[in-house]
Amino acid sequence: MKQNSNLVLCVDDERIGLEVRKILLERAGYRVLTASDGPTGLAIFSAEPVEAVVLDYSMPGMHGGEIAIQMRQVKPQVPILLLSAYIGLAPEVTAVVDLYMTKGEGAPVLLEKLGSLLQPVS
Amino acid sequence: MNLSQFNNILRQVFVLPVVALLVVAGALYVQIRGSNVTVNLIQESDARISQATLLSKLIVDEESGLRGYETTGDTRFLQPFYEAESHLQTEIQTLDNMAGADADQKHDIADLRDEHQTWQDAFALPVIATVRGGGQTNDVDLNLHGKVLMDNVRHDLTDIIQKAEASRARRIALWHRQVHSMLLVLLALALGMGVLIGLFTRGRLHAVSAAYRGSLDILSRRAEELYQSEQQLRTTLESIGDGVITCDAEGRIQMMNPVARELTGWSQTEANGRQLEEIFRIVNETTREPVETPVAKVRRLDKIVGMANHHTILLRKDGTELDISDSGAPIHDKAGHTIGIVLVFRDITMERKTQEALIANEKLAVAGRLAATIAHEIHNPLDSVSNLLYLMRNGASPEESVHFMDMAEQELTRVTQISRAMLGLYRESKAPVVVDLKEMLEEILLLMERRLSDLGVTITTEMPEPIEVCAFPAELRQVFTNLITNAAEAAGVNGKVKVSVAPRSASVEANGQKLQAGATVTIADNGEGIPDDVQPHLFQPFFTTKGENGTGLGLWVSRGIINKHGGTITVVSDTSDALHGTWVSVFLATNPTINAGGD
Repeated sequence: MKQNSNLVLCVDDERIGLEVRKILLERAGYRVLTASDGPTGLAIFSAEPVEAVVLDYSMPGMHGGEIAIQMRQVKPQVPILLLSAYIGLAPEVTAVVDLYMTKGEGAPVLLEKLGSLLQPVS
Repeated sequence: MNLSQFNNILRQVFVLPVVALLVVAGALYVQIRGSNVTVNLIQESDARISQATLLSKLIVDEESGLRGYETTGDTRFLQPFYEAESHLQTEIQTLDNMAGADADQKHDIADLRDEHQTWQDAFALPVIATVRGGGQTNDVDLNLHGKVLMDNVRHDLTDIIQKAEASRARRIALWHRQVHSMLLVLLALALGMGVLIGLFTRGRLHAVSAAYRGSLDILSRRAEELYQSEQQLRTTLESIGDGVITCDAEGRIQMMNPVARELTGWSQTEANGRQLEEIFRIVNETTREPVETPVAKVRRLDKIVGMANHHTILLRKDGTELDISDSGAPIHDKAGHTIGIVLVFRDITMERKTQEALIANEKLAVAGRLAATIAHEIHNPLDSVSNLLYLMRNGASPEESVHFMDMAEQELTRVTQISRAMLGLYRESKAPVVVDLKEMLEEILLLMERRLSDLGVTITTEMPEPIEVCAFPAELRQVFTNLITNAAEAAGVNGKVKVSVAPRSASVEANGQKLQAGATVTIADNGEGIPDDVQPHLFQPFFTTKGENGTGLGLWVSRGIINKHGGTITVVSDTSDALHGTWVSVFLATNPTINAGGD
């Protein structure tokens, strides 16, 4: 496990999914902030020195693509990893984020992708 | 030209020659009268000549008698003399009295009378006296004197005759001229009248012939139009895609178009004059009982019978069967009597197969619409569970492990629910079963939860208690999934959808219609509402307002399913600013009569 203390923001409306992801990332050495919807996530993103975002695509009200666009407007340098339960997201959505993956691919894939996003910073 | 004009012309053509002949006859009459006068005059001349000749003979008799007496002295020779003398004055008078004598002729007659008197007095009577006295009368001078006197008499007579003959010759010439001119006049009149009648008749006949030609033209045009219209109808019948059979009023076949011949398998010649029932044998699909033909129905009701037959099978001549739909209509004459019946029918075998395919397709489309939910509801729990397993494998305290397993169990329960609900969509029972509508709707909403939240729609429910009806659950799920999807899509972001179910007790409506006991499911949205011009098309297949995202089959199939359940589906919509929204109500009877083919 890498011993770094990058601050990661997780946004997901799935309560259990979010909780498990938080524990997983904390075990991996990240500091983790969570938000259960888009507006909350955006507020935290603006207020805190977030270094990476793990964003769920499918959420009520505001989907991940929209949130990513707004985050890019605030801090374009922060990498975003988009998670989705669907296969085949629209190209205009995937173009906004740095990386994307399908839910269920497993924890190692998530940690590896997030790590690759943060490597240049650490 | 009408009939009275034509009769007028006929009259004119008849009257004109008659008038012309009358004119010619008149002219001829005048001419003939003129020549008759002339002929009379000629006859007068003839009479004058013969009278004068008679006088000559009498004078000769006188002279001969005198000579005989002069020679013989016998008085018997004087008998002709006296005989002639006694008549002579009378005859002269007769001649004088004759008509047509001119002054010259009168004068000649007076001369004759004088000369004869002179001859008689100065010669004849003295000679007779002398002979009777026994004297000599053979003196030359005396006789010469007598001869001179007699020559005068003869000369007068000759004059009279010559003049009469001259007059006669003139009159004959006149008669000839008259006859000649009569011929000329006759010829001229005949020619003139002929030409006149010819020209007039020609003119009139031209008019008649023009009118006749006109009538012929109209007739031939009518005939041509009739032919064309008949051809048009015939071609229409021949090329029409439906089978058409025409029957007489007794239901005997008169004509079958090619499609009808093809569908029934009978040729026109075989079918001609046969009763329709022999050729067009139809039975009910399920009961196999013979069905009344539209023609029989039209004969019974004398009105148009529409395509109302469900599941009618046509038994073809070769024994094969076709699904058909048929209709009939009476043919009326001007007086309104039925003179024939038209039967129209079509093969709907393919149509029904297509319908079945469409219905199957729509079932898949409903599942497709749920794909988002399925993906989400399976991938999300899977993701959590796989993460939890990863955590446990990488070292977790016993307390943590219990917590992780709790969470994993919750997530797996979700997957199980979804999978059950999904199966419910497809697991079809052969017979209707008791279905709790409340439970079913809750399951459907669970399945759709993700999709609804994606759409940003808030769902509220009003389902106070379980309500059971007898139904095919999978089909009802399809209907309600469709209706809730429609409502959610209509409501849009921040829209509201309300799903409610309420029991309805059996009752009798004001119009006497008996209502069954059952349940009404209402799905209401606060979308923009359905415009009035769209509403009539809602239940038509392939009608969609969703562009490529809709199959246009949802409501069509839904209504088919509800009809099969003996239920009803109604749509009320409002597009006004204050109350906009749509309310779809589905009524399902508790114990419905299921229509096997209620699509």
